[in-house]
Amino acid sequence: MPAPPRILERIVGLLTPPASREVVLGDVYQRYRSPLHYISDAWYAVPCVVYSCIRRTADAGVLLMDAMLVYASFLAAAWQLDRQLLYGKYGLVKLAVPSLLAVIALMLSDAYATPGKRSAFRPLMQGVLGIGLVCFAQSAFAAARFPFALPWWIVAAGGAAGVVSIAAIGMLFPKDDHRPRGAG
Amino acid sequence: MTRAESIGQFEQLVLTAILTLYDEAYGVTIHGRVQELSQPKSVSLGAVYVTLDRLEDKGLISSWLTEPTAERGGRAKRCYRLEALGERALEESAATAKRVWDSIVAVWGRDWAKRFGKGARQWGRA
Repeated sequence: MPAPPRILERIVGLLTPPASREVVLGDVYQRYRSPLHYISDAWYAVPCVVYSCIRRTADAGVLLMDAMLVYASFLAAAWQLDRQLLYGKYGLVKLAVPSLLAVIALMLSDAYATPGKRSAFRPLMQGVLGIGLVCFAQSAFAAARFPFALPWWIVAAGGAAGVVSIAAIGMLFPKDDHRPRGAG
Repeated sequence: MTRAESIGQFEQLVLTAILTLYDEAYGVTIHGRVQELSQPKSVSLGAVYVTLDRLEDKGLISSWLTEPTAERGGRAKRCYRLEALGERALEESAATAKRVWDSIVAVWGRDWAKRFGKGARQWGRA
């Protein structure tokens, strides 16, 4: 019986959230006809599985609180360090970009969490991950001279406050891990 | 008695697939059966996964993992079965479909129904 190349399986396994990995990899393995067919199956299945995991694990209320606190962190940093930014063109919109990125990182981090595995450091790790994505994106914006780039001192101060905020929210509202998991 | 959960057309197809597959209802087989039922439209495996998760969250179906098998590269299957809520929802949606069918036949006549039946059988064979 033909089997898909190991490297393809590895890639699809990495992209699939752990809650559904076993089942999705098994299903696409069973349907395998050729490498191209395997890629096409995975191409259509994996984004849907990620979406479904996000829908199952995301808590809209907690994410909204995270977004508001990260926004407040960057707003406070701008108020303290560079008040002119607030009065400039799109100043307040520029400060909203980090909260959007942090929320995306948090949603993905919840979707890709291993079911049943809990760690006391998880809220802090999520904060670091969320703000890490913000820092990475801001560096890319600055390098590309993108108008939504923020000055590094605001990113540093707002980011530090953001990590603390996300960690605090994570500790106050721990994730409910009792919902059914496992697409497919 | 509480009202049955209202379901969409695709959810109806997935529930019907699970009902007709008995103990062999898992991702690949459900996708195959939904593909047959929804002809001539094609359906992606991902759409079936999303719907299965949604139906499970609504409590219409439940799932369990089987033992790993060689045909799946040593991986387990997630099998599904209808729960009482799912059966009620499917019954209600089948009754609605029947009423729609009867109303159309009443207007367009039995000849149309026969021709339509032949067309549907041809899609089924394709």
